[in-house]
Amino acid sequence: MPEPIPTTLPAQELAVRTRGLTKRYGRVAAVTGLDLTVPEGAFYLLLGPNGAGKTTTFRMLMGNLRPTSGSAEVAGVTASPAGQVRVRMGFVPEHQDGPYGWMRTGDLIRHHAGYFPAWNDAYARRLADAFELRPEVRYGKLSKGQARRVQLLMALAHTPPVLLLDEPTDGLDPVARDTVQAILAEHLAGYPTTVIVATHLVYEMERFADYVGVLGAGRLVAQMERATLQAQLRRYVLDVAEDWHPPLEAELPLLRQNGTPRERRWTIWGPEEEVTRRLSAAGARVRSVSALNLDEAALALLSRKENR
Amino acid sequence: MPFDIDHSDSRPIYVQIMDEIRRGIVVGAWRPEEPLPSVRQLAVELRVNPRTVQQAYGELERDGVLYVRRGQGTFVAARANGADRQALLQEVARRLLHEAYRHGFDVDELTAALQREANQPDNTQEA
Repeated sequence: MPEPIPTTLPAQELAVRTRGLTKRYGRVAAVTGLDLTVPEGAFYLLLGPNGAGKTTTFRMLMGNLRPTSGSAEVAGVTASPAGQVRVRMGFVPEHQDGPYGWMRTGDLIRHHAGYFPAWNDAYARRLADAFELRPEVRYGKLSKGQARRVQLLMALAHTPPVLLLDEPTDGLDPVARDTVQAILAEHLAGYPTTVIVATHLVYEMERFADYVGVLGAGRLVAQMERATLQAQLRRYVLDVAEDWHPPLEAELPLLRQNGTPRERRWTIWGPEEEVTRRLSAAGARVRSVSALNLDEAALALLSRKENR
Repeated sequence: MPFDIDHSDSRPIYVQIMDEIRRGIVVGAWRPEEPLPSVRQLAVELRVNPRTVQQAYGELERDGVLYVRRGQGTFVAARANGADRQALLQEVARRLLHEAYRHGFDVDELTAALQREANQPDNTQEA
């Protein structure tokens, strides 16, 4: 059988697309041959451990970092340092430190607004209220969570067609996180937006996700609709004899295994009915089948990569 | 908030929304001809993607559970919910059975245990 784990999406209108995007630092490859395809209107969750290449990818999408080879296109424009791509994007960077620490928060926001013809001042004020920002405080004096909210305001208030959010909830307390989630939901209902979120805090953003990409060591391990992942990746609990000989990996794409010798817990990619039939035919009793949350799914997909 | 989404639940979010609305109608939390929150309102309240709410409403509309009045919003359809009640019960049974199998019990053992549990003096009200 098994259908391979998809890394490409069917052809459709794309808001972001990269072709063979690669970044090397000397002999070290940060990102290799990335073919990201993000459909228009998608909420795309880019998952992967620290150092997998998420931030490097974002910097290339922004045109802030020149790829070693390959290209990136955002909202129909090729990403380049010239900057036309930036007004089409809202960006929340992973690290908030920059040269603006001395500025008062309100001045920083006004300065930032000047770069964006589409800046919506009334919306910016609404967001500032919702985030409880204090414009008179110097940006450098803000806590991590406060600075994150300023960045979110600056990313949202020009209602860009594409939002890039790098660890957007990192450093937020539970109340602020809840506010950010409510504001994101409202933003998506009000403005047509494609969102790419890079995060390892899967739980806080998976509520919005309808597409998923998994990066491992600079390469895309998987890229698909979330519904596909949810339907095809399952955990099977199997009752077997201790000396049971499982079917070959070629017949049954096993991503992870644990459990005990007589009760094995296997994470397998494929249509549930067919997988169950094959397991039963091989002499295993399938005790239960369950879906995985995104965190577990990403782990399973990444561990398969390591096994090779 | 009309209900909660359980993000550790293996059902997709739009299915959870559909199930909760069906459940709400069966238990009378929502009555026929009553309006539902708008897609935007429900998305903000649940902190989920508005597209997901739209998908749930769309499917419930196709199933005849909800209907849209142009310019006015989404409403609970005016029809007997006997079939829904039956479907909901079947779903509860399916989950129980699944859980029983997972623990190594068969349907007869489960049925007998349910009867014993219902006959406990403390549980007569629920039964």
